Amino acid sequence: MEAVEVEEITRVFEPRRRSGTRVVALDEVSLTVPTGEIHGLLGPNGAGKTTLVKILSTVLLPTSGKARVLGHDVVDETEAVRPLIGIVFGGERGLYWRLSGRQNLEYWGALYKLSSREAKERAQQLLERVGMADKADERVEEYSRGMKQRLHLARGLMGDGKVLFLDEPTTGMDPLAAREFRALIGELRDEGRTILLATHDMVEAEMVCDRVTLIDRGKVIATESPRTLGQVLSRFQRIDVEGVPLVVLDEIRAIRGVASVTAVDGVGTRIEVDEEGATQLVLERLVSAGATSVRTSLPSLEEVYVQLIGERGMEI
Amino acid sequence: MRAFRAGFALELWIIRSNPDALMPLFTAPLFAIIFMAIVRQSGRPDLESDALMAPVLMTLLWVALQHAGTLMVGDRWQALLEPIIASPTSLASVLLGRIMSLMCFGLLSFFEVWAVGKLVFGVSIPFEHPVELFLTLVCTALAMAGLAVTFSALLVMTRNAYTFTNSTSFPLYLLGGVFVPVAILPDWIQPVSSILFVSWSSDLLRASVNEAPVESFWPRLGMVLLLGTASFAIGRVVLHYVLRRMRASGELAAA
Ligand SMILES: Nc1ncnc2c1ncn2[C@@H]1O[C@H](COP(=O)(O)OP(=O)(O)OP(=O)(O)O)[C@@H](O)[C@H]1O
Ligand SMILES: [Mg+2]
Repeated sequence: MEAVEVEEITRVFEPRRRSGTRVVALDEVSLTVPTGEIHGLLGPNGAGKTTLVKILSTVLLPTSGKARVLGHDVVDETEAVRPLIGIVFGGERGLYWRLSGRQNLEYWGALYKLSSREAKERAQQLLERVGMADKADERVEEYSRGMKQRLHLARGLMGDGKVLFLDEPTTGMDPLAAREFRALIGELRDEGRTILLATHDMVEAEMVCDRVTLIDRGKVIATESPRTLGQVLSRFQRIDVEGVPLVVLDEIRAIRGVASVTAVDGVGTRIEVDEEGATQLVLERLVSAGATSVRTSLPSLEEVYVQLIGERGMEI
Repeated sequence: MRAFRAGFALELWIIRSNPDALMPLFTAPLFAIIFMAIVRQSGRPDLESDALMAPVLMTLLWVALQHAGTLMVGDRWQALLEPIIASPTSLASVLLGRIMSLMCFGLLSFFEVWAVGKLVFGVSIPFEHPVELFLTLVCTALAMAGLAVTFSALLVMTRNAYTFTNSTSFPLYLLGGVFVPVAILPDWIQPVSSILFVSWSSDLLRASVNEAPVESFWPRLGMVLLLGTASFAIGRVVLHYVLRRMRASGELAAA
């Protein structure tokens, strides 16, 4: 059985005030996630990721279309769906700030029908698992963003859900914590859980997911393996540099695989590369020309989209 | 039951870390002093225990409306409503547990007014009917909790919950016979009052602290419980409807 099946889900938000506009947050989105998969939902701000996660977690009704979690309809069979899922919404809110982390978890355990002893035990296990055991009895309002995020994660696991919906679960985590988190995602999958991970972080999607669905403005653009995503990421690079003589820039422009060399306000010169290996040649040339302030960065999600879409001859 | 207990414990933790909700416990003794002063001034010692009971009911109603009633509004603002709805537990039971927690504190006002009566005015409430008194207080608190669930569900849909609770509390005090027995209010108000459990509660409470025997105690207590249960039942239905509506509109999340 598929863990998650989404069939042509559309969600429209009607304006609340007369001056407001109607928003089509999801436009006939379909996707399936087999049991045991870590599935990424990748898209820029406003793409509709959170909207889809909320529909699947039964807290938002779709305007049209069907969705099932482990075979149960998320609109008509909420009572069957709810015990099977765990949700982690990102952000600072969504916790009782005046309570300790442990109290938050114990309360959540009771909502997932654990006895108070079971809730205490599981809270302790999860606090250790997300590295929060030593802060467990401090009030949440004293936690840093990253700590709150870990608590969110632990909370999402209190119910022992078979299908987990994670919405931007690493926002606010430092790189080390984010890495530990990704390892944890792997463990969760090994325990047989299915994970739908909404993120706008391409690197994260590439690192942890088995498959990634790219969405933009409410529409599915493609479902890719993370390898394809990785290839795009390694091919397309952006190099920002300052104070390089024009002659050198002209030489660089001639290097095969250099897509563009442009002056950018506040950055200096931006060199964009679209072929594997070209980055290295460009960097070597820059260094030999004595350039010191060189920064490479990944292309933005939008740029990757444009590339993927361009290669497939699709239109948005 | 587990949901009720979870809610009860949650609210205890919240109150312990932030005792704002206990504010009415400061005002109850003050109201007791005001009402006692009026009764003394008019030379009506027979009304003294009535004067002491009014602040108890006011406190309970205040807690039900101001704090219990706005629990869902608060959860929604803290983005807690969605994850709670997504859990397998019925929100109504959790709310009932949280509200009962608040009610237990509200009941402390009884001891406060008792102390005020004793220490400030030298009157002692005649404890002639302790069982009746105890049961009336407990059932009243339960019924208030049922009412508060309804309020909680209604308030989450209004934009200005606080204005709403402020403007409902005084009519409820009046109709519920909190200050004066409903019997002396105009005739046309009587039917409205009699479907409010508060009016039964207040009459019964006054009767339980007077020396005269409490007439037909059990049927009257039954009415409190029945009307209280009905408000909880109505609360559940309203809550169900409200949640469905909010899931449709996308308003469970506070913008
Ligand atoms: N409750 C709501 N009421 C009205 N409009 C909404 C609501 N929730 C989302 N939207 C709109 O729907 C669109 C999709 O939003 P959504 O939150 O699903 O995007 P997202 O992919 O999660 O973005 P982000 O990366 O910023 O979290 C946006 O245009 C948003 O303004
Ligand atoms: Mg989002």
